Amino acid sequence: MADPAVSIQGLTKVFPAPFRGTGVVAVRDLTLRVEAGEVYGLLGPNGSGKSTTLKIILGLVSPTKGRTEILGRDSREVGSRAAAGFLPENPYFYKYLTGEETLRFFGKLCALDGRVLRQRIEELLELVGLQSARDRRLATYSKGMLQRIGLAQALINNPRVLVLDEPTAGVDPAGSHDICQLILRLKQRGVTILLSSHLLAQAQEICDRVGILSAGRLLREGRLEELVAIENRMDITLENASETLLREIETAAAKAGASFIGRRKSTTTLERLFLEVVGREEKPETTERPAGEVKKKS
Amino acid sequence: MSASPVLWQRRFLALVGNTLTDLTRQRVFYFALIFAFLLIASSVFMAQFSFQQEFQILKDVSLGAMSMVTSLLAVVATARLLPQDVEDRTVYTILSKPVPRFTYLLGKLGGILLLLALSTLLMTAMFFAVLYLREQTVLGETAREMASAPREELEAALRAVQQSAFNLDLVPAIATIYLKAMVLAALTLFVSTFATTNLFTVVVMVFVYFIGHLQATAREYWLHSQGGGWLAQTFLAVVALLFPDLQSFNLIDDAVAGTAIPLALFGKTVLLGLFYTIVYTLLGTVVFYGKEL
Repeated sequence: MADPAVSIQGLTKVFPAPFRGTGVVAVRDLTLRVEAGEVYGLLGPNGSGKSTTLKIILGLVSPTKGRTEILGRDSREVGSRAAAGFLPENPYFYKYLTGEETLRFFGKLCALDGRVLRQRIEELLELVGLQSARDRRLATYSKGMLQRIGLAQALINNPRVLVLDEPTAGVDPAGSHDICQLILRLKQRGVTILLSSHLLAQAQEICDRVGILSAGRLLREGRLEELVAIENRMDITLENASETLLREIETAAAKAGASFIGRRKSTTTLERLFLEVVGREEKPETTERPAGEVKKKS
Repeated sequence: MSASPVLWQRRFLALVGNTLTDLTRQRVFYFALIFAFLLIASSVFMAQFSFQQEFQILKDVSLGAMSMVTSLLAVVATARLLPQDVEDRTVYTILSKPVPRFTYLLGKLGGILLLLALSTLLMTAMFFAVLYLREQTVLGETAREMASAPREELEAALRAVQQSAFNLDLVPAIATIYLKAMVLAALTLFVSTFATTNLFTVVVMVFVYFIGHLQATAREYWLHSQGGGWLAQTFLAVVALLFPDLQSFNLIDDAVAGTAIPLALFGKTVLLGLFYTIVYTLLGTVVFYGKEL
């Protein structure tokens, strides 16, 4: 069996709290796997342990207990980061460098040089749409541009695993949409993406699987369509169903002669699931359909 | 991948280059250099003294200014390097690449040492230029004043002027100024690995600077008055490690007085400087490896 792209086993992180006796538990006994080629979303409210988990995966913070691996290599090994890229939350780069110089600097840190590095810089500036701003100092970049150059530096070493901490935080909706599209394109290229977010609609748009963290615990985890499914409710999708059939469907669907295309459980929104799991009271707008609702496919 | 010396060197040089770029964009660098240049240049106006005194004052003021400016730069510029990267989270993006923390620290230290070397070279060039100009002026004046004197007497007088101006012992004196700055930079980097603010680092280093200059005298006094038992020796060795004996790096007085600096003394000073720098860098690395970012 191939190694998962990212593996977390029994991870606990306790930050010491001087003068308080006990420390602050940021992550509790967390175990999860991110398979190669998928987009995995680590969701949770502020302070739930998302960023700490990502930092431990990248060896920036040491675990109190447990182990994390990138492509089968222990995160504590520097070499495990050779195949990984990271975009921290609200990245701040050296503002005296231009976009191109920034990529060159990070490329050299990944031991790239010469023609390979120049070519990579060109590709990435094009990918993130910053060719025209390549010679501008980062001090003059907007928030969205900084996020995009941040994404480019994370990709400089052509990583197989990309770790993104709140990749769209503080970016306007258009910029945010661009970043999501970029993530989907990277997924198509086979890059595994592990991202943290509290923007649930976005996560629903791009993630294959999600894990919901609260107070350092993993409360729910799984494929998105399974997680947002509602128990005891079923959608039935019919093709070429007549008005008569629709009226009689509750009692005679099986005998009506309509083509049975498929069925699936009715879904709630990821946002609602999230709020239920982390115990929030406020109710978001629902797109849930009543039980037994029949959709007519045109 | 990270084990290859070529790849390691590439990463290290990238960090050194970036740190140097970062530091040369700080105003403190230019203020410090301008201040040093003004001090060195102002020594020219000591012409009312005899030429021996004039050259002595010129060397004293210039070497003193170089020592002060390099020490100041070593502390102030280094103190902000780590906290700034942590605060701005640039350290995350750097260390999430296959860059060992040791390489990162060494790159930062390399950048500051390069900056100090550049500053020392610029100030030395300025100092030597001023010294040369004054020497030529005094030589001209002496030749004019002694135009009617016998040739041997004139040559002796000119030789005396030349000997008072430039002598080779200025070079080791300047080298030890750089060594002292190197030790201070390494120690500042070490302190900044556990400090939470720049201010804390600078304040600690100000104390270290003064204690470092006084500790040799205190040690002599202690050993003289209390005797040299093993306990006292151990205690003093620990103090000497925590607070580097900065007075050992002061060869300025000898150079100004024209006293020859023995090669053995210079060699010992170089080794001491390297020893302190390596120890502080290793200590900094140990602390930095345990640091939660």
